[in-house]
Amino acid sequence: MDRALQQGDPPIAERPPREREGWLALPLALFFLFFFLAPLGLLAGISLRVTPQLEGLGLVQYAKFAGDAFNWSVLGQTLLLGVKTVAVTACIGVPLGLLFMDAPRRWQPILLFIIVLPLLTSVVVRTFAWIVILGREGLLNNLLTGLGLVAAPVRLLHTELGLVIALAQIEMPLMLLPLISVMSRLDPNLRDASAALGAGRWRTLFRVTLPLSLPGLVAGCLLVFASSVTAFVSQTIIGGGRMVLMPFYLWQQATTLFNWPFAATIGMVLLVSVLAVVTTLNALGRRSRALVHG
Amino acid sequence: MATPEITRRALLAGGAVLATTTLLPRAAAAAGRVVAPAYPGPWEEAYRAVVLPALKKTADVDTVLTPLLSLDQVAKVRASRATPPLDVFMLDPGPAVVAIEDGLIDKFEPGRCKNIAHLQKAFYDDWGVSVAAQIVGIAYNPKKVDRPKGWKDLFEPKYYGKVGISGFGTTFGTSSLIEISKLYGGSLTNVDPAFEVLKKWLPHVGVIAQNPVAVNTLFQQGQMDVTYTNYQTVSTLKGRGVDIEFVKPETGPIAFYTTLHVVKSAANKDNAYKFIDTVLSTEVQAALQKPPYGLLSVNKNVPLQPDMPPEIVKSHAELASFVHHDWRQINPKRAAWIERFNKEIRQ
Repeated sequence: MDRALQQGDPPIAERPPREREGWLALPLALFFLFFFLAPLGLLAGISLRVTPQLEGLGLVQYAKFAGDAFNWSVLGQTLLLGVKTVAVTACIGVPLGLLFMDAPRRWQPILLFIIVLPLLTSVVVRTFAWIVILGREGLLNNLLTGLGLVAAPVRLLHTELGLVIALAQIEMPLMLLPLISVMSRLDPNLRDASAALGAGRWRTLFRVTLPLSLPGLVAGCLLVFASSVTAFVSQTIIGGGRMVLMPFYLWQQATTLFNWPFAATIGMVLLVSVLAVVTTLNALGRRSRALVHG
Repeated sequence: MATPEITRRALLAGGAVLATTTLLPRAAAAAGRVVAPAYPGPWEEAYRAVVLPALKKTADVDTVLTPLLSLDQVAKVRASRATPPLDVFMLDPGPAVVAIEDGLIDKFEPGRCKNIAHLQKAFYDDWGVSVAAQIVGIAYNPKKVDRPKGWKDLFEPKYYGKVGISGFGTTFGTSSLIEISKLYGGSLTNVDPAFEVLKKWLPHVGVIAQNPVAVNTLFQQGQMDVTYTNYQTVSTLKGRGVDIEFVKPETGPIAFYTTLHVVKSAANKDNAYKFIDTVLSTEVQAALQKPPYGLLSVNKNVPLQPDMPPEIVKSHAELASFVHHDWRQINPKRAAWIERFNKEIRQ
């Protein structure tokens, strides 16, 4: 069994490290090139076609997108959905993160399991479960009418409110995991120091704990935003036919109307918009890290 | 015992085995298989239970049954014309016209299906063959609402908040909205009146779904009590214990035929014909028509009675008297209707 070790390569320490490490990234680089960059280039190419038969070359599709107020409102509503989902997950996520930080060590794995639970169920199951919960005769409405809080069932399914609630649950792990990983590394002595210097609990929270957790929060917001804006299955099934959002709009153009150039344009616009938001958030994240270390 | 150690050689060997297992089965099974679609839901269930075992028995062909709606099939094949991911198309009349005009379908050779002898001439042409009739009407929940009589009832105040519809993206939606239009002065190619009616009705909307599969789930969940759909869906849901009944609108139900086609450049063309032939056979058509599947037979040896309740349809002659739409006229308008529906229905 030890043969490989005795006769094998020279010990790791003897090899020039840099040269070898560069090669290790090659498979990933090739994978990205063939399965991400090349298709993306193709997509950009198709978006520059003039007709659905893929003839001509020009910015006709982008002009068509920009020229119709409907398209802008679809884009606006989609990005706003992302912002709302981020707001809800952040408002619930931060207190949960604080709770996790203060929880006894043996409870933490159990809490962590509960947090990642939504990731362990299939997206289709999760989505249909939300139909059962939000429906007219669903759990939530039965509870509300049963308690006498409302006379008639409230409309939740196929509304933006229902969609934000469902997305918040589905995307919660993406907010909590980065947040917790940053929060649990915070030095507990800092809080003691803050208390010793006379700061109350709230002041410590807002002046010490939260600023130090910002990098995790920003990373969480970034993931939740990108994921909820593009959550096609949840958006179409929980949002319903009256909510036209970018992913559905793109799907409709591609598979129902066979207008590939316009579908590709919608895809590019969505990509650029999400990238713009992500870049802004990233810049904020860098500034927050500077705040912490600087 | 020493902990097993992973040597580079073992890792490579393992990787090679894994890689082969992912690549091999396709090549090995290619001799006897066909990739065929079926509409998700009731059709998929029926084909999986009836057609697949029959094809395996008669021709020893394995079927990879892919649940896809018509337009999704056309989109998939269109994206990969030279090496299409399907051997057979299962299409509604609208998408069939699209696929034919787009050159995605092979010329149909009736001589390659011996069971074609059991079909009337009208059921096949140069491009494909009908395999089942569909009857579209109104479905309602008898425990919750009164029996609606016709299309106009969908917008009556007593059904406010209880009606679910789908738009021009679906066959049911398009043909039902055309019939609604006709009642208010529109025609096959003029659906303006339907838009007027929908606009007035929107504050009282029950559900607007994006596809027929979602409609089934929403009906079962009590999210809607009235909708337009086909008899076969009602029959399947009823078989599952759902409170649902089918109504033939007083102006006549809509009838159309679902067709099978051989995909151009299909990898398994012979097996595609074997698949179609099996579907057309007397035994399979009879089994597909029996409840709960309720797929109306096209085979002369399989009468519609007694599987179909006489109040739904008695004979093929009666079926022919139902409303039929010419999709060659509808298709050129459909894109504009879908875009208009997006804009006017949006919250």
